[in-house]
Parts: sequence; structure tokens; C-alpha cells
Amino acid sequence: MTLNQFLIVYVCCLIPMLICRCAPMMLMKGRDLPENVTAALNLIPPAAFAALVANDLFKPDMFEGGITQGIVPLLAALVVVVVARKTHSLIACAITGVVAYALLLFLLQ
Amino acid sequence: MSKSETIKTAFKAAFPVMMGYIAIGLPCGIMESQIGMNWLMAFVMSMTFYSGAGQFMIPNMWLAGNPIASIIASVSFVNTRQMLYSAAFSPYFEKVGKRLAFLFSATVTDESFGVNMMQYQSGQWSAWQATLVNLFSMTSWGVCNALGVLIGDALAIPTAIAAFSMTSIFICLVLDQKMTGLNVFVIVVSALGVCFFKLIGLAGPAILLGALLGVAAGMVFRKVVA
Repeated sequence: MTLNQFLIVYVCCLIPMLICRCAPMMLMKGRDLPENVTAALNLIPPAAFAALVANDLFKPDMFEGGITQGIVPLLAALVVVVVARKTHSLIACAITGVVAYALLLFLLQ
Repeated sequence: MSKSETIKTAFKAAFPVMMGYIAIGLPCGIMESQIGMNWLMAFVMSMTFYSGAGQFMIPNMWLAGNPIASIIASVSFVNTRQMLYSAAFSPYFEKVGKRLAFLFSATVTDESFGVNMMQYQSGQWSAWQATLVNLFSMTSWGVCNALGVLIGDALAIPTAIAAFSMTSIFICLVLDQKMTGLNVFVIVVSALGVCFFKLIGLAGPAILLGALLGVAAGMVFRKVVA
């Protein structure tokens, strides 16, 4: 990728990104929002977190390389669920997740 | 709260994300080096564009021979989910100045959205603390990407394992939501929605569409139950 090609990709990706990031905040901030809109905004965190997890764990072709390969992230996720319930700690979950994932890959493959 | 206290609390909150970025920022930088990006390009892109998914997609799609327009369209499509984060934070920024609100919203991404939302939901959290979480996280991302470019192929990091640190953080964030009937319903519908959209070939905007479906279903649930 040449410098010019990089600049085109960079600028053309950055502009829509900044619009998506800043426009809703700048348009909605400080306005009296109807009760329904506030209620919908409050639902974004659980919806977005669940969507991010599902996006990471589910791939349409996840079992094509064999059941073991597909099931490792799901089993590792179960281990993280237990740790999350007990500790509520992001760092404990991150470390446990990576270790569980690596161990399960090692043990099951 | 004193300035140093603000910085300390923000750093503590951002720490898990910053550590996670070491695991995924280095491999991202390594991939960026494979398409000829130098450390400065990777650093500038990470400190402004700041998108893990986007920055992995660009080298992947470039190496697969996709045209530039297709790369830009795909990356931008995936990043439309950022609109949700910005909207969700707007009530907390009601009395915050425009410049700080702009700086904050311009530097939010999946992980800092999660950490900041958890802090706002649990009580005392200020716009400055939230913005510092973004900036600490972004700096860690930028430095790790630049280092990844400098390391190049000298270090083999299994990306799938490293990326699971972020999945684990998101799992913890889901479970830390108040488990009311409404929230559980929204979580289930959003997750199933993402699976559905990926199955029908809409992997790019699946996060945005799944989350929107969850929110819409939640609003219907609220009306029916009320």
C-alpha cells in the first residue's frame, strides 16, 4: 500500500467513523428527550454488549473445521461466565478467558 | 475530586482494556506491516480512527485483493454501530461543554463504551473520567499497533486466543447488567438477532442490526408488560 493509497483509505474511513461517533451525541445532548427515547437509550447497553458477545462467539462456519474447533470458544465463554459471576472483574475475566481458550485448544486438539 | 484522583480512577478503569490491547494491538500492527504501513501510519490511524475491527479488516481485505472502494464501504458499514454508543451516552453529557462532549464521542469504541457505561451505571462517573478512559485506551492501542509494525513477523501471536480477552470483557459486561426481565429479553433477542443476520450474510452490520432489533423488541416488551 503506497502512502497515497493509505491516505485515501484512512481519510475515507475516518470521516464516516467520526460522523457515526459524534453526530448522535451532538444532536441529542442537552435536549429534552421523550420518555420513550430515554427508555430506548437505556436498552442500548444490554443490547450492544449481548450483540458484541454473540458476534465474537457465533460464526456461521464455526463447526466446519470440526466440532472441537467450534466448541472451544463456547466452553471458554462458559468458564468466563463463572468467573464474571464470582468476581465482577474485567481483568480477571480477560485473563481467565485467554488462559481457558488456550488450555482448551491444547487439550482438545 | 482532585485532578490526580480523576486520572488515577480513570486509569484504573481503563487498565483491563489497555492490557487487552497489548494482546490484540500487536497482531493488528503486524498485519498492518504486511501491507506496507509504517509505524507512524499505524500510530496515526490508531490514535484517530481507533477501531479494532476496522483496522484488522483493512489489511485483511487489502491482502485479499479487494478494491479500495470496497474496503472503505465494508469498514464504514461495520463501524455504524458506533452511533448506538454515542446516543446511549448523550443523557450523561447533558450539562457537559461541546468541546469535551466532542472529544469524548470522537474517541469512544466498543471497549471504552463498555467500561464507561459500567461506571456511569454504577454511580459516580464524570465526563473527564470517561474521556480519560478513552484516551488511555486509545493510547495503549496506538502504541501497541506501532510496536506491532516495528516487530513485524518476528513474533507469532495467535490472534484468535488473544482476541478472546475482549470477548471475555464483553461477557463480564453483559452479566453485570441488571438482570430484570426486560434486560434479559433484550439480551436474548440481540444475541439471536446477531446470529440471524450473520446467517443470512449480513455479517458487516450484524452488531448494529442485532442490537437495534433487541432495543425494538425491548420497547414492545415494555408496552406489553405495562
